[in-house]
Amino acid sequence: MSADAVLWVREVTKTFGQVRAVDRLSFAVARGTITGLLGRNGAGKTTTLRMINGIFLPDAGVIELLGAADAAAVRDRIGYLPEERGLYRKMRVLDQLLFLAEIKGQRPAIVRARAEAWLKRFDLWDKRAGKLEELSKGNQQKVQLIGALLHDPDLVILDEPMSGLDPINVVLVRTILKELKAEGRTILLSTHMMGEAEKLVDEIVLIHEGRAVLAGELEQVRASFGSNTVHLVFEGDGAFLAGLPGVAAARVDTNAAELRLAPGADAQAVLTAAVAKVRISRFEIAAPSLEEIFIDRVGAGALERRPAEVAV
Amino acid sequence: MSKLLAVLKREYVEVVRKKSFIIMTLIFPFLMAALMFVPTLLMMKGIESKRVVVVDGTGKLQDAFGTHAPDVPLRPASKVGREFAKQAEGAQAAKVAELTTEYVAASGDAKSAAQPYLDRLRENDDTRARLDGVLVIPSDAFTDASAKLVYYSRAASDLMTQERLATTVNHALARGRLAGRGIDAADADRLLKRLDLESVQLSKSGKEKKGGELSFLVGFIFAALLLFPTMIHGQEVMRGIVQEKTERVIEILISSMPSFDLLSGKVAGLALVGLTQVGAWLAMGGAMAVYSGGAAMVAGINVFQYVDLRVIPWFFVFFLLGYLTFVCIYAVGGAISNSDKEAQQFMGPIMMVAMVPWMLAFPILQNPESTLATVLSLIPVFTPITMFMRIIVSEPPMWQVGLSIALSVATIYVFFWMTAKIFRIGILSYGKRPSPAELWRWLKVA
Repeated sequence: MSADAVLWVREVTKTFGQVRAVDRLSFAVARGTITGLLGRNGAGKTTTLRMINGIFLPDAGVIELLGAADAAAVRDRIGYLPEERGLYRKMRVLDQLLFLAEIKGQRPAIVRARAEAWLKRFDLWDKRAGKLEELSKGNQQKVQLIGALLHDPDLVILDEPMSGLDPINVVLVRTILKELKAEGRTILLSTHMMGEAEKLVDEIVLIHEGRAVLAGELEQVRASFGSNTVHLVFEGDGAFLAGLPGVAAARVDTNAAELRLAPGADAQAVLTAAVAKVRISRFEIAAPSLEEIFIDRVGAGALERRPAEVAV
Repeated sequence: MSKLLAVLKREYVEVVRKKSFIIMTLIFPFLMAALMFVPTLLMMKGIESKRVVVVDGTGKLQDAFGTHAPDVPLRPASKVGREFAKQAEGAQAAKVAELTTEYVAASGDAKSAAQPYLDRLRENDDTRARLDGVLVIPSDAFTDASAKLVYYSRAASDLMTQERLATTVNHALARGRLAGRGIDAADADRLLKRLDLESVQLSKSGKEKKGGELSFLVGFIFAALLLFPTMIHGQEVMRGIVQEKTERVIEILISSMPSFDLLSGKVAGLALVGLTQVGAWLAMGGAMAVYSGGAAMVAGINVFQYVDLRVIPWFFVFFLLGYLTFVCIYAVGGAISNSDKEAQQFMGPIMMVAMVPWMLAFPILQNPESTLATVLSLIPVFTPITMFMRIIVSEPPMWQVGLSIALSVATIYVFFWMTAKIFRIGILSYGKRPSPAELWRWLKVA
């Protein structure tokens, strides 16, 4: 892990009653990267982000950020977007943003211009005088995001930043986050949407039941799973693909499939067999997708369980 | 500090901008005035329009009832009303005295002579002049000490009319009896002349203050001004905190500033809201007082003998003390509740405690130097209202005033400190109660 880390989480544990939400979790976030905290619902992502923000204290372990042992010392340099909406429903949009910047130590007169620029960029300028509750969920999320960025933080912590956004806004937010990275800021975001993470993050920390099960640079992680996966896009009924010789594991969707090959299996043989039954429009041998890795590491048990077992 | 001010400003602006706040601020004085004076006005109006037939079995009392009205000043039932009426007398006297009586001399059997009128009263015939009551004076009224005046009416609860009639008849009977002893009417009136009682409050400062009864009224009004804003805005603090919890704004707040600053900003902001409101009320009340006081001055009544303006600074001192004490309690209630509903459960008990001095207002105002009043005024949660009421109606020893303020300030300090701690722990325990160990760690950290 990079020595130039802005955030260190070391052996952190947090228990709620009988539930161990975070269990001796350790990871680091390098300066100037976008790091994705990945995991299933209830894996401990939000609890971890709250501890980093000093909202919860860890039961054990140490969190160091921006060179300080206590979030309180550097809180004005951190921007935080909570998982659920954290805004006053009855307050006007612009007033609310100025207030959020003010409690981060900014002077309202100075941030006003910046707030206006953000509102325009997010297409919320017309809504600046409206109350927050009058906005759609997606627009509220955008206001919340502006609130996390308005005070020009060095470290931006986003809990499910894309939640509630339409595809256009998703692209917009992705662009903005990449700009922030280009400016040298560090971003830590949590998500359970692997496709999104794949397009955005440089590094991942995959946590499961409160522990890090996989961490590192995204490309390295993928490469470590080897180039033994066949990605297929086709027309026709692909159900037979899973049963082909040489296929160790398969996930077949309506028009696409991801087939992990057994060691020594020939990809060309798989292609030949496939061409005989469906029209192939894309064939690629590559590293497995993040989703595949995710399922492989944390989801296999849940997916293989039969409905009868799940129901109990 | 700038963060604290940001919270203060937000709390203040958000509340003051609300329609409910503006409406409450504007109508409350009128509401109070209405509660105090409307019953009195209605009573006076009621008397004005009364028509009573007097059937006199003795046949000798025509002088008392003749064409002119009974010579009895208006006596509304309540002390407050009485005082008010006394002032109003100048303007109202002529009207007030218009209790219309119809005199019927019936030597002999008064009851049977009254029968037609009683029938009229019972039927309440619209075609004839309305009748409110019939007073029957028995023929042996002069001789039999156990004889009784009988008043028939459709509303037996009209005590004031009854009292007025009884006074008038008794006055006339006494005159008649004295006339029988050879004392002429003018002498009799002089002998029977009743004097009004006026109370004067003496103080160590040597100042004399008239209108002790009005002090009661002033005491009540100021106690209400101390109590109601605290109740209203204290609940606002509690609801605001619960709302911040349910809307998760609290995560943003707590990750941005120390909880002590957050709480201080909130409490100070709401205190400013309260001061704005009572300030507006006092200004409105003052304007009304100047207006009606001006009118009263013209009529020759000095209003400043009733209200000592030096109590106003004390009012603000005790307002702040009471406000801060209860706002802290409400803040804790909000911090350890997870929903408005849960928070509601705290309101009842808190309100009960806050209401104690209000419920004991009568004994306190009546006996401001009693052990009860003294003890209550030194118990911090009761201090503001109790001590202020004592200051209005008497002059409590300075050491007691000083001690009560010192105790209140100390209590607020301790409450505030504890509130900040509990606040920090409570607001983040979403439905999960923190363990004692965790609590202890928070106390050290927060």
